[in-house]
Amino acid sequence: MTNGWIDIKNTDMMLIMGGNPAENHPCGFKWPIEAKRQRNAKMIVVDPRFTRTAATADLFLQIRAGSDIAFLGGMVRYALENNRIARDYLLNYTNAAFIVKQGFKLPEDGLFSGFDAATNTYNRATWNYEEGGSLTGKADTAGDTKTPAAPAAAVAGGPAPAPPGMPANTAYDFSLEHPRSVYQLLKRQYSRYTPEMVERITGIPKDQFLKAADLFTSIRKDGDMKKAGTIIYAVGWTQHSMGTQIIRTAAILQLLLGNVGRAGGGVNALRGHSNIQGATDMAGVFDVLPGYLKMPNPTDTDLKTYLARVTPKSAKPGPWDSFNYWSNMPRFTVSYLKAVYGDAAKKENDFAFHYLPKIDHSYAWAEIWDNMARGGVKGLLAFGMNGVSIGPNSQKNINALKKAEWLVVCEIYPDETSEFWRSPGITPDQMKQIPTTVYRLPGAGFAEKDGTFVNSARWLQWKNAALPPPGQARLDQEILARIYLKVRELYKKEGGKFPDPVLNAVWGYTNPQSPSLTEVAREINGRALADVTDDKLNQTIKAGQQLPGFAWLRDDGSTTSGNWLYCGSWTEAGAQSQRRGTEDPSGLGIYPNWGWSWPANRRVMYNRASCDLDGKPWDPDRKQVWWNEAAQRWAGNDVPDFKVDSPPKDHMGPFIMNAEGVGRLFVPLAALADGPFPEHYEPFESPVANPLHPNQSNNPMAKRFKSPEDKLGTPAEGYNIVCTTYRLTEHYHYWTKNNPMNVQLVPEPFVEIPAELADDLGLHGGEKIKLTSARGHYIAKAMVTRRIKSMMIDGKKTYQVGVPIHWGYRGIAEDEGKTALTPANLLSPAVTDPNAYTPEFKGFLVKVEKV
Amino acid sequence: MNDAILRYNLVERVMHWISAITYCYVLLTGLAFYSPHLYWIATLLGGAPTSRYWHPWVALVFTAVLFWMLRVWLGDMRITPQDRVWGDAVGHYIRNEDEDLPPIDRFNIGQKYFFWAMLYSGIVLVLTGLVLWFPELIPWSLRSFRYVAVLLHVAAALISIGAFIIHVYMGTAVVRGGFTSIIRGEVSPAWARTHHRLWYHRVTGR
Amino acid sequence: MSTGALRIQRASGHAGPIPGEDTQRRMQVAKLIDTTTCIGCKACEVACLEWNDLTFRDTVFENSYQTMPETAWNYWNLIKFNEHERDDGSMMFLMRKDQCMHCADPGCLAACPAENAIVQYQNGIVDFQQEYCIGCQYCVTGCPFNIPKFNSQTKKVFKCTLCSDRVGQGLEPACIKACPTGCLHFGTKDDMKELAETRAQQLRDHSGYAHAGVYDPPGVGGTGVIYVLHDITNPEAYGGLPSNPRVPWTVRIWKGPLKWLGNLAMIGGLIGVTMHYLRYGPKHVDGGTGEGGRP
Repeated sequence: MTNGWIDIKNTDMMLIMGGNPAENHPCGFKWPIEAKRQRNAKMIVVDPRFTRTAATADLFLQIRAGSDIAFLGGMVRYALENNRIARDYLLNYTNAAFIVKQGFKLPEDGLFSGFDAATNTYNRATWNYEEGGSLTGKADTAGDTKTPAAPAAAVAGGPAPAPPGMPANTAYDFSLEHPRSVYQLLKRQYSRYTPEMVERITGIPKDQFLKAADLFTSIRKDGDMKKAGTIIYAVGWTQHSMGTQIIRTAAILQLLLGNVGRAGGGVNALRGHSNIQGATDMAGVFDVLPGYLKMPNPTDTDLKTYLARVTPKSAKPGPWDSFNYWSNMPRFTVSYLKAVYGDAAKKENDFAFHYLPKIDHSYAWAEIWDNMARGGVKGLLAFGMNGVSIGPNSQKNINALKKAEWLVVCEIYPDETSEFWRSPGITPDQMKQIPTTVYRLPGAGFAEKDGTFVNSARWLQWKNAALPPPGQARLDQEILARIYLKVRELYKKEGGKFPDPVLNAVWGYTNPQSPSLTEVAREINGRALADVTDDKLNQTIKAGQQLPGFAWLRDDGSTTSGNWLYCGSWTEAGAQSQRRGTEDPSGLGIYPNWGWSWPANRRVMYNRASCDLDGKPWDPDRKQVWWNEAAQRWAGNDVPDFKVDSPPKDHMGPFIMNAEGVGRLFVPLAALADGPFPEHYEPFESPVANPLHPNQSNNPMAKRFKSPEDKLGTPAEGYNIVCTTYRLTEHYHYWTKNNPMNVQLVPEPFVEIPAELADDLGLHGGEKIKLTSARGHYIAKAMVTRRIKSMMIDGKKTYQVGVPIHWGYRGIAEDEGKTALTPANLLSPAVTDPNAYTPEFKGFLVKVEKV
Repeated sequence: MNDAILRYNLVERVMHWISAITYCYVLLTGLAFYSPHLYWIATLLGGAPTSRYWHPWVALVFTAVLFWMLRVWLGDMRITPQDRVWGDAVGHYIRNEDEDLPPIDRFNIGQKYFFWAMLYSGIVLVLTGLVLWFPELIPWSLRSFRYVAVLLHVAAALISIGAFIIHVYMGTAVVRGGFTSIIRGEVSPAWARTHHRLWYHRVTGR
Repeated sequence: MSTGALRIQRASGHAGPIPGEDTQRRMQVAKLIDTTTCIGCKACEVACLEWNDLTFRDTVFENSYQTMPETAWNYWNLIKFNEHERDDGSMMFLMRKDQCMHCADPGCLAACPAENAIVQYQNGIVDFQQEYCIGCQYCVTGCPFNIPKFNSQTKKVFKCTLCSDRVGQGLEPACIKACPTGCLHFGTKDDMKELAETRAQQLRDHSGYAHAGVYDPPGVGGTGVIYVLHDITNPEAYGGLPSNPRVPWTVRIWKGPLKWLGNLAMIGGLIGVTMHYLRYGPKHVDGGTGEGGRP
């Protein structure tokens, strides 16, 4: 979340889409309700189903799963056409005025410039800003200059190649009239997303779409900046083959409306697990190190090369300033290396940079399983993670596990993964053929562990253990520590290919067999190894002291930090995550003394953008930060997300994490694999060809796999019902099916189907229905509902059905023989988004029949 | 005395007393639930939950006996034209001027009315009682049945109580010999001739 | 469930004065349920089970998100889910937490014959005291909201206690404590009424619910649980919330006039036969010995 849960109460307008917070985040949903009650805020809900969130909405639109970019693109067009934009904000806080390189082509045919059909890759050279100064009022120079040379070839599926870099002095047109200005390109890009086109793609009738567009953009009626609107989403956006670009479209809309950085604004991702934000921050994805430092790849031969590749240089119009906070990358990286390798990380050996693994290709979730299916991955350590149920394409994962030599599962219940060998359809004879050795480790439940959770609002909150783990169960850190110590012992004894990283890793815990999480948290925060002095502040942190914040990190090896973003969370003053101050002086729900929010305890990111150019809040009633002329500093109710002594006249951009200093309507270079502007692509299984460009229906950069299990279905083969998957309030993933309380609330699996479809099938509520995709089938009772209606997609009557994911073949109902034992993800395809590698769990095709 | 006439055979007497005892139990427990002022009866009878537990079961026995009686006495209980003549002269009966009454058979019309009153109110009581026993089996949409049932149950009970009072009074205090007859089964020829002359003629041939 | 801190103002099946009546200041408490902000998360259902240590039931999927069709003897708090299509074809997904309404004039208490089995505390909470319950289920018939439920094993009737044990100690009911959206409120009846009216006004003025209103049915003297509804003219759409609930008139007659008439009749009957005996005495048998049937 750019903002936070409580901040939603400050909003005037909510667009909830790709998320179902009332059902999946009921506690957080108090804040949308609060906004409605206290501010008469309006709520628009867009979802394939009329959900429990929709029940509280002012306006609900039923959208076809996977058509979100078309809807949001239509909103962008509406805002631009009807002048519902924040003009000053747009001009000064976004790259609207930047000029894009000649030769850049919009995807009117579905492809951006630089596409190579042979290799299915983009040469992104034209996805960049033009160099030079002001082009204000100057006509475009005719003709294409020659396309610059291609960048180094991308490692297949891996992270972006080294970008050729943005020009330090970008060309710009503050009149926004230059045809290659980002603003004009944006206008052109979304001119195709007319209400009629939105209707054809999304199935939302034109008049309803216009009603929503008018309502949402009404906060910028006549350019008035007082009101703020928020966009709230969850995995209903991410779990698509173009998921990242859906979120990008939302970001564009919010930048157009000047909603980012403001109380009650922002683009707000609701995280689906209690600590998924923490997992992501601590490198839950293969291509980042903790704190979103880039993972080295084989071209990074030494630290210098690596840092040169990953440290951005500021790129901005001449008259403006850019903080470019990622320029501190060397400080974060070296401090991280010192935290991990300690004394073994010396200036002379590049701070042990070469200990870090270098990724040669994608190790994303779906790739791991694909690789295992191909025999590449020999063993899997599944820790609190039910890989078979999670899917996608569960059967492929089950088959892959049959090929693994070993599987270690650490869980609190017997689950589908640890019992993959008895999944439905496997006969006792076949079972005997499975060679995989399965080890089960009894883990500890969440209430049996202390440590921090990081919530969607980026708050670190410490929790205490409620009770000890039962029986033989062990704390996670003990299990991990004992495995590590054993591996280290083996390396010590047997040498091995490259023992140094394992042998030299810092392991200075009081109890090495079961490190206290207090010690780990302190280590993540980081400390000074030598006296560190800040001349400006005239302050010194003594060697051995905890660092008060990431501004103190150094690139000379004198500081450590396991994650620079968390630097400041456990200082000499103690654990900030344990603070429980309930003061809220501003009334904005900032609660500065409750827990600790990264970065630097800021509650709303980019909050400089909550002020006008002179540093005065757009809305004097919601004062987050402001420029204090007398003190020549930024002050605030929140911690300013800015260089505190940069006066407004310097025109430093508020988006300090971007090298441009401004928000990106156009995303240059390799930051995104599939294009600088979001374009609507159909899901890989779609009832229609893309009405925008039928010849390029899908995201060309999305990853498809080639195993025999990776089949895709087409309407021609009879797969003509759009299917989406989701969770219920009453259950939590694949755990609570073991808890009688939850099972009582929703005892059995079901499929939600439109009443019209049920009539077609002659099916009544409670009767069994079978969904079949190209990959597998799912049988459950039908919930016949009027909350899903048929829709017209490009002139074709289309139905959607929904499958809650919570059941499998182990659990109370399962063990009592009450279900068909079919995990929902037997249905879903392993097609992944090219940026976040998230599979397309939402919006694939099935056929349905009565059982 | 060998000239005694058998008025009630053993089966009839057993039948009567089962119904009498079950009725009394159901009456007393019912009265306890009927009025807070009589709730103490339930305490005497082993506590209110126990009373409530047995009330419907005993009532079922009572009802069963009612139908048994119906089978046994149906012939005797038909109301005849003679009964009506007798009924018109019931004032004499009330004033103990029995000599002014027309002769009747085994039962007078009052006794017959009593029988039918008990039978019909018994049927109403058992039907409404079943509704009250298992209210949750009555769908919510048919809840008006429950509402009617509470009222009818009490109304029928009150009717039966009225009949019961008169019955007991007549059988014990007024018609001397009646009580003995339902215990030992026999009456004297004089008694029979006085109260049920036609019956007397029929059974004795005199 | 009796609780020391609460005094009784009305008791079922009780003749004579109530010992606790008017010995405590009367301040009626009430629960406010704003159906317009209910998200059907069932936290209240779980909190109710947890606080009251209720046993689990076997449930089956019945084409709804609703946990079970009705409340049960061990499930006192149930959100009723209803799909409602408006005249313009747009959907509403109505969710209403169903539980005992704690009527000011409780039909269950009126119908109950068992002394003290149903009591009303001076704060308005209507509570079942199972140790006095005789299992007659008259309360089931007396209730216009279909709330009391019978346990055929223990022969006792159960329902929501408004957490009288918590309220007696100054805490809010468990369901209120658990509600994440603030759809549930607890306080004095006056405060809750005001809050509810304010919210209904807001819904009428700002949310386009022209018929938004507060459900506090006068037919049962008002209730200790009040609802804010999107459409006060159609409470039936919220899972059969009666539009004009009353204690059944038959129960009123039964517990009122019929009882007194019946008492009079019975007493009259006894007096009548006594008078008859005194006036006329026993019958005599012609030529008999006069006494008895046995000559």
